[in-house]
Amino acid sequence: MKEYLLDAPVTAEFFAYLGNFGKVEALQNIGEGFYKFEKADWFSIKGLSGDTTVEVRFKKEVMDLTADFLYLLFSAYREGAVDLTLSKQREQAVGRRVRERLYGP
Amino acid sequence: MADRPPIIYLNNAATTWPKPPEVLEAVRQSLALPVFGSGRTTGSQGEDYITLAREALASLLAADPPEHVVFTPNATDSLNILIQGFLAGSEADCRVLTTELDHNSVLRPLHELARQGRIRLTVLPFEDGTVHPDTVKAAVTPDTRLMVTAHGSNVLGSVQDVTRIGEVLHDHGIYFIVDGAQTAGHIPVDLRALPVDAYVFTGHKGLFGIPGTGGFYVRDPEAVLPVRYGGTGTESSSLFHPREMPERFESGTHNYPGLAALAAGANYIASVGVEKISEKAERQAALLIEELKNEPNITVYNEHPALPIVSFNIRGMENDDVGFILARAYGIVARTGLHCAPLVHRAIDDGIGSVRLSLSWFTTDEECRVAARAVREIAHHADSSVCSS
Repeated sequence: MKEYLLDAPVTAEFFAYLGNFGKVEALQNIGEGFYKFEKADWFSIKGLSGDTTVEVRFKKEVMDLTADFLYLLFSAYREGAVDLTLSKQREQAVGRRVRERLYGP
Repeated sequence: MADRPPIIYLNNAATTWPKPPEVLEAVRQSLALPVFGSGRTTGSQGEDYITLAREALASLLAADPPEHVVFTPNATDSLNILIQGFLAGSEADCRVLTTELDHNSVLRPLHELARQGRIRLTVLPFEDGTVHPDTVKAAVTPDTRLMVTAHGSNVLGSVQDVTRIGEVLHDHGIYFIVDGAQTAGHIPVDLRALPVDAYVFTGHKGLFGIPGTGGFYVRDPEAVLPVRYGGTGTESSSLFHPREMPERFESGTHNYPGLAALAAGANYIASVGVEKISEKAERQAALLIEELKNEPNITVYNEHPALPIVSFNIRGMENDDVGFILARAYGIVARTGLHCAPLVHRAIDDGIGSVRLSLSWFTTDEECRVAARAVREIAHHADSSVCSS
């Protein structure tokens, strides 16, 4: 598990964006909203809207791959990239390496 | 009390916080003065914190003589020393009893020994938070030599009837090691009266010490062989480890600041009165449970704890998410998951774990109410989860 300190508070829109890459659950009535993003068998992100910290859980064997992919996810969102094609391609490529490392080729 | 950030700390079953001011001052002073250890230092500018701590613990736990109180880095280390040391003097392949209530500090050393074929292990089930003495009696076999169990459960806050269990065991000549990590400092413990052969404590929980200290009381040191050897500052011309107490089980340099803290913590408890601490804890745990148990989405796993521990889950939510929300949205520090006690959780919640709120002498009624309100609020909204993918 790692906590990521972001340079801006997370928002509902940020988690909606993450929904393009996995499952998002929300409890919108708790504080400004509790959100949980889950990428099955890889990693999860949870956070409260308005908070600058999110908690990321992953298997430590794939920490490096996860950190790289998170950087891509976060920076693509910050830059307002509307075309998700590149991020989706990267997700598939990194996801493949994650599965290989965790479960073998 | 030290300055407190705006949090409500309810993870005292892991490590108590805050510490009494006397403890902080003792640590400061111990580091300000030169280290003094009998046989290891000339001069007397420093305090003999080792002896102070031994006497304070012996007095608090009615452990006699004080030299039979041994210091180690923590309860886990104490349990390993006692288990390995007792079995080193027993025949191979004997039977050992433990319980589903136990912490991994007991379960793992015993399972490891069972895997190595050195013991046969029986894990006893519990009912209503305790293992009945009759269950222990029924499990005793002619080859049973040892029982190791928790005095208090770190998940359910229940306290074992170690008096009756000890009587059953002693009737059969079985050695009895009790893990008091959750009871020392929380409830009155009279080792003169309890039929236990060894009692383990840790410094950083109910005794208000700091992490890195623990120990045990052993009634008959001859029953346990030393498994650590080294420098003691005594009998240094001999190349063999001394067999006298407490050196028999203590080697290497002590944790002086830790023992200074432990002595101050034990003396603080004695000055307040452990009965008073115990009564307040039971009352506050009841208060918290009363506020939670009628909420339809909340399952409380221990409605009548003797220790200040409340374990629960909110239907439809992962305990880890509840803990996250408590911490980040409400500033309430709890502990979630299995609490290093996987077998308790298999029995009460199918092994998913729970949220644990654990109080200390310094927890206020208002903090209990605020925490209960926060948990209820989360539970109210648990059904409103929106999912998208």
